[in-house]
Amino acid sequence: MRNGHADKADVLQGTLILLVLRTLEALGPLHGYGIARRIEQISREVLQLNQGTLYPALLRMEQEGWIASKWGASEKNRKAKFYSITAAGRRRLAKEAEDWRRMSSTIERFLGLDPGNMAEERG
Amino acid sequence: MSWASVLAARLRGLFEHKRLERELDDEVLFHLEMQIEDNLKAGMNPAEARYAALRSFGGIEPMKERHRERRAFALVEAMAQDIRYAVRTLRKSPGFTTSCVAVLALAIGANTAMFSVLNAVLLRPLPYRSPEQLVMLWTEIPSQNLREGRSAYWNVEQWRSQSKSFADMAVFDPGSVTLTSADKAEQISVVRIAPNLFSLLGVQPMQGRIFSAEEAEQRQRLALISHRFWQTRFGGSRDAVGATVELDGVPFQIVGILPAAFQFAQLNADVWEPHTMLPDWEASRAVRGGGAWFVVGRLQPNVTLEQAQAEMSAIARRLEEQLPASERNRGISVVPLSLQLTGPRSRLALWMLTGAVCCVLLIAATNVASLSLARSASREREIAIRAALGASQPRIVRQLLAESLTLAVMSGLLGVLVALGGIHVILALKPGDLARLNEVGLDLPVLGWALAICLLTGILVGLAPAITMARRNLRPSGQEGGRGIAGGVATRRIRRALVVTEFALAIILLVGAGLLMRSLWSVENVDPGFRPERVLSVQLSTPALMSAAQRADTYGRVLEQVESLPGVENAGMIGDLLIGGNPQQMLTTGGDGRTISERLRYRRDEVSAGFFRAVGTPLLGGRFFSVEDGPDSPRVAIINDAMARRLWPGRDPLGERFKLGAGDSDSLWFTVVGVVGDMRRQGLEYEPIPQMFEPLAQNPSRLATLLVRTSMDDPLRMLGALEAAVRRVEKHAPLYGVTTLEKRLGGFLTQRRFQTSLLIGFSVVALLMAAIGIYALIQYSIATRTQEIGIRMAVGAQAGDIFRMVISEGLKLSLTGLVLGLVGALCLGRAGSSLLFGVTATDPLTFIAVSLLLIAVAAAACYFPARRAMKVEPIVALRQE
Repeated sequence: MRNGHADKADVLQGTLILLVLRTLEALGPLHGYGIARRIEQISREVLQLNQGTLYPALLRMEQEGWIASKWGASEKNRKAKFYSITAAGRRRLAKEAEDWRRMSSTIERFLGLDPGNMAEERG
Repeated sequence: MSWASVLAARLRGLFEHKRLERELDDEVLFHLEMQIEDNLKAGMNPAEARYAALRSFGGIEPMKERHRERRAFALVEAMAQDIRYAVRTLRKSPGFTTSCVAVLALAIGANTAMFSVLNAVLLRPLPYRSPEQLVMLWTEIPSQNLREGRSAYWNVEQWRSQSKSFADMAVFDPGSVTLTSADKAEQISVVRIAPNLFSLLGVQPMQGRIFSAEEAEQRQRLALISHRFWQTRFGGSRDAVGATVELDGVPFQIVGILPAAFQFAQLNADVWEPHTMLPDWEASRAVRGGGAWFVVGRLQPNVTLEQAQAEMSAIARRLEEQLPASERNRGISVVPLSLQLTGPRSRLALWMLTGAVCCVLLIAATNVASLSLARSASREREIAIRAALGASQPRIVRQLLAESLTLAVMSGLLGVLVALGGIHVILALKPGDLARLNEVGLDLPVLGWALAICLLTGILVGLAPAITMARRNLRPSGQEGGRGIAGGVATRRIRRALVVTEFALAIILLVGAGLLMRSLWSVENVDPGFRPERVLSVQLSTPALMSAAQRADTYGRVLEQVESLPGVENAGMIGDLLIGGNPQQMLTTGGDGRTISERLRYRRDEVSAGFFRAVGTPLLGGRFFSVEDGPDSPRVAIINDAMARRLWPGRDPLGERFKLGAGDSDSLWFTVVGVVGDMRRQGLEYEPIPQMFEPLAQNPSRLATLLVRTSMDDPLRMLGALEAAVRRVEKHAPLYGVTTLEKRLGGFLTQRRFQTSLLIGFSVVALLMAAIGIYALIQYSIATRTQEIGIRMAVGAQAGDIFRMVISEGLKLSLTGLVLGLVGALCLGRAGSSLLFGVTATDPLTFIAVSLLLIAVAAAACYFPARRAMKVEPIVALRQE
């Protein structure tokens, strides 16, 4: 079963928070399904999101005060829970994004070096 | 990130559980429906759309579980759930649950009952104001190894005025008097007390007042009565205060009634009168040195026992100069009242029994742990499924603990009922003269103890399965075939350790019980120095105002009447046969200028001529008393062997002379006319002290014990005839304390018998549980090794080999336990050696007997599983997996 998705990476818990916050910042209030769809679309199906894991993460973020939730009517006038990013959430997003960029550039640089250089730098 | 906001949200979550659960359901449903709609739009058929939606969502239940854990105070929530689940699983295996609950309930119940005794007798503070400040003060005579001697009134006055450590001191002296009323006379107990005793203790009379110091000084005849006396004598009437009672023929006015619960020391007296009522008070008040009084004191706040002791020792040295030469070299010892009430031996015995019952609980818990370990092995699949459904490992461990805790709490509830029954039994057995036993009951500390041991038991029982389970879960999943091998080894190792522990504990208890049993036998076989069979014992008292001659005459005629009764072999009288502690007294031997005065602890009694014949004490030399030894003849005495050896070692005491008191006292000289065998009158376990007897006719006491040797197996049947015979002589003579001598002697054994039977009971239970434990283990080990046994048989092992293999496995475990237990028993034996009598703590016979017993029981417990193992069919065994 696992083999069928070998080319897709699981979304890590920390990354998921970043993705959700960014989505909410960009699109405004959204319900859970909307967030899941958006993440899958943007990542062009590269990231494998187990949609169920979204909800505990949303709860956690709400408990931390990064997002707020409100019941409202969906596009088709059905009752749904809408999540929106808070001021604390925006600060968090900025920090997470910064961390992520630093991390990825570090790794990028690391991968760009060839083994000989590595040995030299260490020496 | 705010920790507090998470906590607040979680708390809110706890209260809004239902609503949030519904909202989550709605949210999930909405999500799935949206997905299905989109899937349909993308061209899937309805079934496909539904399936795809569910698949992309992932496990709904694990998600909800995480959501909940996040949402609520995970622990509390999970605990309630764990308990619900635990109750469900336990209900599903009623056999296991019933046996575990039964075993644990018994152990917890016994433990709680024992603790209630320990609590009432030793732990609970005494029912007086600031009881920790209360002490007893004693005159100490180091040269005679006497630590707790009574004191003279003069000395106590000096202590009281000179010491700064004490807020107050009060004297008291228990005794008995004859209460006479219109139709009858009876003996009641009385305590003579200094008026400040009650204020010192912080006790108020329930009605009326306490006599004042002035009234006591003026020797006014006033009395306080006990609540019990008030109820039985006056029917609880209001008029009791102010009424009079006649004590020893003299009227006393009742001034107050004491509260119902009041009890001081072990005195449960009916009447409390001023200390000045002591006969010849004026004379005794001036005596310095040893005396008649018990002394209780209250320390000043913030004064420690050591400080008080140091000050009193200094006072004792200062007082030396004012004391007569014979009263010198005394100390004063200060002992906390709480330690005084229950002696070191009773204390040790209670702690020993509590330890024993804790061992039983430990063994019971061990057994149940072993059982649930075996059970958890067979529950592996269930747990694997729970793990697959998303239960985390700590969650499963918690679940197992919840199960054992539920088990323990159920047992605890039942155990409290068992404890109630146990307390009844203990109270009914009346284990000797334990102080404050009447206070035993199920109160808050006892229930707290029950709860504590309950929880501890639950954790102990659940720990082993939880540990093995946790360990097993670390292995990669999907190894179904490994069942019973890798995990089984861990389980079996723990279970073996548990069985070894059980055996070790059981051995310790068995050795203790064996030693106590041998001690009891030794005590029972001690020759008391008289023959108690078929002897009736009756207390007799004569009016206080009778003259000595009248009294002697009355006693003589009573004996004459009694001896003439058919069925009476002979009869005798003595002041009292069985005696308590005796004070040191001065005694002077010799005469003709070379007198030696010394202090020794001895007992003096008056006996009738036929006394020794009636009780069957042998005459070792000289003669018994006869009618010749009348009031006007020379004073003669019979002494016991111990006194002869003490005063005239290596010499013939017959014809020697001695007198009571110092050499210059004006008391009369006694001539020794006879020596009798030693009688153990203080208790069977005490070496007989020196005793002297004088003829009843020469010094008739007001109270006497009439001992009648009958020819009947049940001497009590003589009572009617006996009473009639006494009445023919003295119409109103009070007869009381009617019993057989055997019963009175048996009283010496009650406490020891109680301790011994309790410990035997505990150790038998322990042994049985250990046997069950090893049986279950061997049985289980064979069940899991059927395949191995089959292979062994297939490659040529004989049935006998298999039998030996199983038996040796069992014996190896029990022998390990045995060795550990024997070592433990040797270590503990030394601590408890003061409880033994006539046997040492390392008695080889007991150790060997107990070891053999244990090996026999272990062998029997292994025999049946071994027989079954022999009958394993190799083919069947190999096909099993």
